Amino acid sequence: MNNEIPVQTLGGQGEVMAHAVDACVHCGFCLPACPTYALLGDEMDSPRGRIVLMKEVLEGGLPLADAAPHLDRCLGCQACVTACPSGVPYGELITAFRGWSEPQRERSAFDRSKRWAILKALPAPRLFSVAARVGQFAKPLAPVLPAALRGPLDLLPESVPAMQPSPKVTPARGVQRGRVAFLVGCAQQALAPNFNAATLRVLARNGIEVVIPDGQGCCGAAALHTGARDEALKLVRANLDAFNPGDFDAILSNAAGCGAGLKEYPMVLHGEPDEARAKAFAAKVMDISEYLNTLLQNGELEPPVPASRPLTVAYHDACHLAHAQGVRAAPRALLRAIPGVRVLEIPEGDLCCGSAGTYNLEQPDLAGQLGARKAKNILSTTPDLIASGNIGCHTQIQSHVRRQGSPTPVMHTVEILDLAYRGEL
Amino acid sequence: MSTEKLALTTNSSARKPASAGGAFNALAADLTRALGPRKVLSNLSERLNYRYDAIQFGATPLAVVLPESTEDVVAAVRAARAAGVPIVGRGAASGLSGGAAPLEPGLVISFTRMTRLSIHPERREATAQAGVVTLAVTEAARPHGLIYPPDPASFRTSTIGGNLAENAGGPMCFKYGVSGDYVRALEFVDADGEVHRLTRDVFDLAGLLIGSEGTLGLITEATLRLIPPPRFTRTLMAHFPEVGACAEAVSRAIAAGAVPSKLEFMDRACTNAVEDYLHLGLPRDAEAVLLVDTDGEDLDTVQDELRLVEEACVASGGTVRRAATDEEGALLWRARRSVSPALGRIRPQRMNEDIVVPRSALPDVVREIRALGDASSFPVVQFGHIGDGNLHPNILFDPRREDAHAVHDLAHRIALVAIRHGGVLSGEHGIGSMKRDFMRDAVDPETLAALRGVKRALDPGGALNPGKILPAEGVDG
Repeated sequence: MNNEIPVQTLGGQGEVMAHAVDACVHCGFCLPACPTYALLGDEMDSPRGRIVLMKEVLEGGLPLADAAPHLDRCLGCQACVTACPSGVPYGELITAFRGWSEPQRERSAFDRSKRWAILKALPAPRLFSVAARVGQFAKPLAPVLPAALRGPLDLLPESVPAMQPSPKVTPARGVQRGRVAFLVGCAQQALAPNFNAATLRVLARNGIEVVIPDGQGCCGAAALHTGARDEALKLVRANLDAFNPGDFDAILSNAAGCGAGLKEYPMVLHGEPDEARAKAFAAKVMDISEYLNTLLQNGELEPPVPASRPLTVAYHDACHLAHAQGVRAAPRALLRAIPGVRVLEIPEGDLCCGSAGTYNLEQPDLAGQLGARKAKNILSTTPDLIASGNIGCHTQIQSHVRRQGSPTPVMHTVEILDLAYRGEL
Repeated sequence: MSTEKLALTTNSSARKPASAGGAFNALAADLTRALGPRKVLSNLSERLNYRYDAIQFGATPLAVVLPESTEDVVAAVRAARAAGVPIVGRGAASGLSGGAAPLEPGLVISFTRMTRLSIHPERREATAQAGVVTLAVTEAARPHGLIYPPDPASFRTSTIGGNLAENAGGPMCFKYGVSGDYVRALEFVDADGEVHRLTRDVFDLAGLLIGSEGTLGLITEATLRLIPPPRFTRTLMAHFPEVGACAEAVSRAIAAGAVPSKLEFMDRACTNAVEDYLHLGLPRDAEAVLLVDTDGEDLDTVQDELRLVEEACVASGGTVRRAATDEEGALLWRARRSVSPALGRIRPQRMNEDIVVPRSALPDVVREIRALGDASSFPVVQFGHIGDGNLHPNILFDPRREDAHAVHDLAHRIALVAIRHGGVLSGEHGIGSMKRDFMRDAVDPETLAALRGVKRALDPGGALNPGKILPAEGVDG
């Protein structure tokens, strides 16, 4: 797309943004992939429309405040990136744009404090756990609370499990075949501690030693994607210090959003002194399903115990796995590796579930519509189990599936594999 | 009309919001009174997004209406008429001729929310509002054992209204016919805001609206013919060391009696752009790739036809690979559909042509265009529905570094190659504003006068999509 974005005055992030705008040929192939276009049916709330809006703001032709409502509605799901033949790195564009524009935003005191609370609580699992427990007691009050508070309460599970601290080193069982570093994540430690426990057990079972390096923290994705770039940079640099890529075969995450965030580090630090370090780091990052699938493809995966009965599993593609990381085949292959398991495809499978990081909290109405649509699509396949590889999708889908009256269990892919290894599936 | 000039016009109008409406916008106020705020867009941030299609940027509209019914369209047309501003219809704006990009500030009517669709299996018909997405018709019809064959590359995005306005084609159209061939009846709103329902009887007024690019009326609904899908389909890919050889293979196959359902060609640059996107293992070094489907009710016949094509390709120096599975075939066709936008990987902008030439002339035409490209400073790529002689030569350029006039000149010379070989300018994309200047080369003055007569009869005030198809009057001679 022809543009006059003043790259020189915008620095490294300006190059990232101008490159993305350049690459867009405004063909419109992204429209049917976009969840907000599906809901609203107008061009401003489509990827192509948003690219034009960002271009206009960067060129100085449109006030930021006018474009902001449409840009804020973007889930950052990157389904448009998958659909884009001309290779527009839309995810990089919206992330860089949010970082550039946030300091110029005029927000209400309520908005500011909400953002502050989210960005403080998310990266701090203990704080998040306390907040979640408090929230649990507030759940019965939900009907009388303002809408802005109702959304997050809806997503809390009926009971918040106790935190399970993960051991710094989990030795391989049997002959050691590999050594990986593991990012433990934030919210999921509080909301779904079994994700990490299952991950460690499955890796150990496969002869992989797992190290959880000290000093690691939040991946920074939530801060980055909401425009809190300075906050994000601190978290990014802390992780670069904590993980030494040379020490490990891979750096693993079991949360799609976090894994995608880690893989974005080179883009975040584009043109800065740490860029080379970020590249070396990101080259080692893998989702847990990618890593286990390489074992499977090499014939090295420990064979899981067959399921006790034929089971159907509806596999939900987390946007940050399928679109942001291009990981689609690996989790399906792992589930199929369990004898007795049949993987079901979900109608409109490419459409975001509406969780999208903090989207649930920022755009509860659209998030709710997408959540209900996703749950309906999943339940239309009448699965025995629902699998996904992301804590955000997990809570969103669980909440909406329950609301539609279904008791179908929602699990992480690696939890299902773990149950199979234990002979409990 | 160069894309460069248009882009600059657009940017300057964007920077002066007051001239394009601003806080006081009488048209938007009238429309909001008539239709309610939900269906009317008047903020600059909203209007800016209704000034482009998939090839060029036009003028920012004064207001945009998102109608939900034909009555809404009537109300919008009447308000625009009262305000004396032009009206441009718009579907998904995935068109490639500038048809949906307004040339003057006015009203844009965007049909994306008019998505009512019903299937009538007993009559083998679908009734679709203008905003129904093309592929949605087949998706809804398939459970009834029916399909809607027209398949423009953008069929996941494009709308029925836009397809009919441009008379869109697609790979399936070689055997099954273009969009207009599937219309049984049309509903449209004329320049006065009157609603008409047309069938294909004498006079075939529906036929007049098809391909008229919103210059004669606004199509609001269509009754479409559906067909049962072929029972068997087989796919092959052939690649060639030279573009002309690929065209010769096509002529040879058809002369041998093969009637493929799809016959598509892309040159080396196209293949590489698409391979960069999809990573399918396409032959990057081949000068030309041919994709072919044969289909039908009898598997032996389908296989025989594929063999005829295969033999023709080999005889012309090609290397042939048959798709082993339906999935492999589907991936190859996805590659073909992605060609056009994937060219954005080479240069940010392009001049896209849509010529149709007699099949016998294909080898000469592709070679001559190739030579024009080689002699120019621009990447010139070619792909298209080679089975029916419909080619898309594209000139790729960067408007910041390269001369738009030189692009226009080269586009003109390419158009003249087609005309010299007895061809026409547009097979499926329409004329729009991109190829309007070339109309005088393609159509004789008497025919042009007749076209102007039709336009005057249906839109005497010239309010509907001004500046499209017909060249500016007074300079015909």
